[in-house]
Amino acid sequence: MAETNSQFPRSLKGVRESLGQQSGSNRALLLMAPLLAFELLVFVVPFFILLRISFAEESSDLVYAEGTWTLEAYSSVLTSDLIWSIVGYSFLLGIVVTVLSVLIGLFYAYAIWRSTGLLKSLLLFSVVLPLLTTLVIRTYAFNPLLSPSGTLNELLLSLGLISSPIQFVPGTVGVVVGQLYIVLPYAVLAIYSVLATMDWHVVEAARDLGASRPRSVLEVVVPQAMPGVIVAAVISFAWSVGAYAAPDLLSGNITFAMQVEGLMLSDMRYPLAAAFSVLMLLLMLVSIAIMFTLLNRIGGEFELA
Amino acid sequence: MSEITLRDLEKRYGETTAVQDVSVEIRDGELLCLLGPSGSGKSTTLRMIAGLETPTSGEITLDGADVTDQPAYERNTSTVFQDWALFPHKTVLENVAFGLKMRDVPKDERRERAEAMLERVQMGGYGDEDPTTLSGGQKQRVALARSLAVNPDVLLLDEPLSNLDKRLREDMQIELREIHEDLEETFVHVTHDQDEAFTLADRIGIMDQGELIQVGEPTEVYENPANRFIEGFLGDTNFVDSQVVGVTDGAVRVETELGYELVLPTDRNPDVAEGTELTLSLRPEVLSIERDPTADAVEGHEQPMLADGSTSNAVVGTVENVLYRGSTVRYSVSVNGTSMFAERTGASTDALTAGEEIRIEWDGTDVLAFRTDGSRVTL
Amino acid sequence: MSSSLRREPLETAAFRAGYLTLLALMLLPLLVVVVTSFSGTGRLAFPPESYSLVWYGEFLDSVRWLDAFTNSIVIGVGTALVATLLGVMGAFGQEIDDGSLGTVLAPLVLIPLLIPPVILGITLLMYFNEVGLRGSYASIVLAHTLWATPLVYFVMRSVFSRFDWQQLDAAQDLGAGPVQSFVYVVLPNVKHGIFVGGLLAFIISLQEFVMALFLSTPSTETIPVLAWTEIRQALDPMVSVVSTFLIVISVVGILLAVVATNLEWLSKQLS
Repeated sequence: MAETNSQFPRSLKGVRESLGQQSGSNRALLLMAPLLAFELLVFVVPFFILLRISFAEESSDLVYAEGTWTLEAYSSVLTSDLIWSIVGYSFLLGIVVTVLSVLIGLFYAYAIWRSTGLLKSLLLFSVVLPLLTTLVIRTYAFNPLLSPSGTLNELLLSLGLISSPIQFVPGTVGVVVGQLYIVLPYAVLAIYSVLATMDWHVVEAARDLGASRPRSVLEVVVPQAMPGVIVAAVISFAWSVGAYAAPDLLSGNITFAMQVEGLMLSDMRYPLAAAFSVLMLLLMLVSIAIMFTLLNRIGGEFELA
Repeated sequence: MSEITLRDLEKRYGETTAVQDVSVEIRDGELLCLLGPSGSGKSTTLRMIAGLETPTSGEITLDGADVTDQPAYERNTSTVFQDWALFPHKTVLENVAFGLKMRDVPKDERRERAEAMLERVQMGGYGDEDPTTLSGGQKQRVALARSLAVNPDVLLLDEPLSNLDKRLREDMQIELREIHEDLEETFVHVTHDQDEAFTLADRIGIMDQGELIQVGEPTEVYENPANRFIEGFLGDTNFVDSQVVGVTDGAVRVETELGYELVLPTDRNPDVAEGTELTLSLRPEVLSIERDPTADAVEGHEQPMLADGSTSNAVVGTVENVLYRGSTVRYSVSVNGTSMFAERTGASTDALTAGEEIRIEWDGTDVLAFRTDGSRVTL
Repeated sequence: MSSSLRREPLETAAFRAGYLTLLALMLLPLLVVVVTSFSGTGRLAFPPESYSLVWYGEFLDSVRWLDAFTNSIVIGVGTALVATLLGVMGAFGQEIDDGSLGTVLAPLVLIPLLIPPVILGITLLMYFNEVGLRGSYASIVLAHTLWATPLVYFVMRSVFSRFDWQQLDAAQDLGAGPVQSFVYVVLPNVKHGIFVGGLLAFIISLQEFVMALFLSTPSTETIPVLAWTEIRQALDPMVSVVSTFLIVISVVGILLAVVATNLEWLSKQLS
């Protein structure tokens, strides 16, 4: 009797609890449903359509021939020397910009972390403002600065450091600078957000134990900032490989993004553009995976006693 | 061999002065405690010794060599931080071996030495743990091992025990003391806890408002404090306001807020005149409680001078409040409307109760006197 | 010995010089844009040969720029509304959810930010072509929402995680229904967060260029898209004028966000 007495309310309570939970999670589901539906309809489904079109035949009067299946687009992308040279240039740009962006990002994020008061606000402001300014503006400002008749060349000429103007723009130097300016704010913020949670005493402890300033940063700050560094590297890399505005405006070299834009908007060759995009996405995923492993290993090496 | 000399050390941050006029010689192998309330500049002083802060002016020498502007990583000092500052991404062993790694000690040797050091602080077997998973006491031990592993000339401890609970803190104090005796190295330990300072220190340096007020052995600073701040900071006491009413040969007579005229015996010519305001300190341990309030000495509120030069002072008051504190019982007593307190050991069987009239007695030589600016009157 | 005595200050000086140089370089391009907008001649040079407001006058007379401005505002407001609604609801749902759906949702919402905008633009162009939305405001709003939602979502996640959810229990205990308790208890505590999220979404949309380039038609082109076409034809200070407007909008936005978050902080201190 005593047993059933004690069991009865418990099971009733259990029922009520599970009911309550259910209505709670139903409400949560209801709240999350629009966002989930949006992501599915505007992000996931479009990627399947991209994938589908990449396997379609080209058509002379339409952008692609519906209902057809072929590997033609892939074979013409994969066998084109032009495409591969574009891929090579895009990746080169991506790697150079990523390395610079992570190194400068680390330095700048560290400076923000170490500064206080007004200086800190100013440094943060200098990162957030470009972030919230359209990349068209950010890129085009380098034209009057870096062109052969631009500010930098005039400065260098008047100082007598060079005898004739250097053509930064149009050129690869200009693209790297322009693209770096586009991704650097993201890199800085990604690294800074991790540094902000770090304890400064840990760095002091390293110096106190005999680590010089650069070494203490390498031994203690960088390994702890690794999550931020990885995010910074992924963003810098993905966006730089897919860079559009900076190469178009600041150099004559064609990148993947410019090529694919031409294929779609001028040539209307959707299957080719889709196949090229899918190929680039795959190559980027593989590179990011390699980068991830490398960075983790570097982080690991620092940790060896 | 490691002596540290601080000479006229000063540290300012903009308008605020954190440390000023600090001069002290820290002897080889001694354990010096810098004791003071928070904001007194003791941690800043320690950080300047470590090289983590650069003094605004003044000089620091380590074994005779000027190290004032030498960065932390070039000084063979080692700090145990208040929050321990263990490297969260390194294992316990890597933490302890870090200083050796910075000194380019070969990998096998630093591993060996780090393990030995972990054994020493009773953390053997924890080498592969992630330091973030350790308890406070364990972190404290690892931090200590990390600092000791580099075999520093001077070990600096910045309130490393303040984040531990009371029992653990007391155990660690004894352990630290043992380690210090073993190593015979110079330790500088910063704390705001006077019990900790008394337990650990060979000498105590007391800081207040950025200045080092007194340095001395524990008994000396306790029994012979340089000023009123130290007397109040080192333990509970009754401060009684008074005014000098007469300076006679061998005695200063004062009229107190307790309503009694008291005698302070002196063996010199004290620098006080009639009318000087003094604050007297009556520590509870020099006071004894008598249940019979009607003793001769109290009659007429005038205290007699005894033949041996001491005085037997006494006041009568009413017990207002009884506070049982385990080992001791504290009585707050109203003497002519002014409140003071006295203590007896908790073992006393004849417990006093509120409302009871009692007599408090002390020897006049145990009373310390301070001027209104806090400075001590030598009696 | 003497070398070590001087090394620290030297390192400090080098470090400071390093980040101050970067600070200047970060702000320089924006400075160039603002300064060249006051140019008196048609040549884009920094510093300009002469100064005047002539290009501001041109801007206000240009129907095409003003149309683009209207388009940008319409799309920006649309994005802010959709992204805020989705982001706030999603973050709130995840906060009260104890199931596993939330763990799928967070990365799904984040991934679009990591995909090069060109690929997103291409993908969405093909998609909107299929579903017949190509050339509409809605297509650009949806594309921008893909980028703006993660920001609103993560701002709201952090705002909600700081909210004391026992207040909601207390409200329901006192008889408030789910909607009432949200409006009277949750909303007042998180409204500044919602405002900042919406503002971010608006600014993101206002400045976004690559997806808009792919998805817009002459009648729906936004300011960055028009600026882009103009730049490719001729480099004249008109684009600087437009850019200055965009920069000013961003600065005002940042200031508003700072004020709002500080108000939030202030009200937390007071309550």
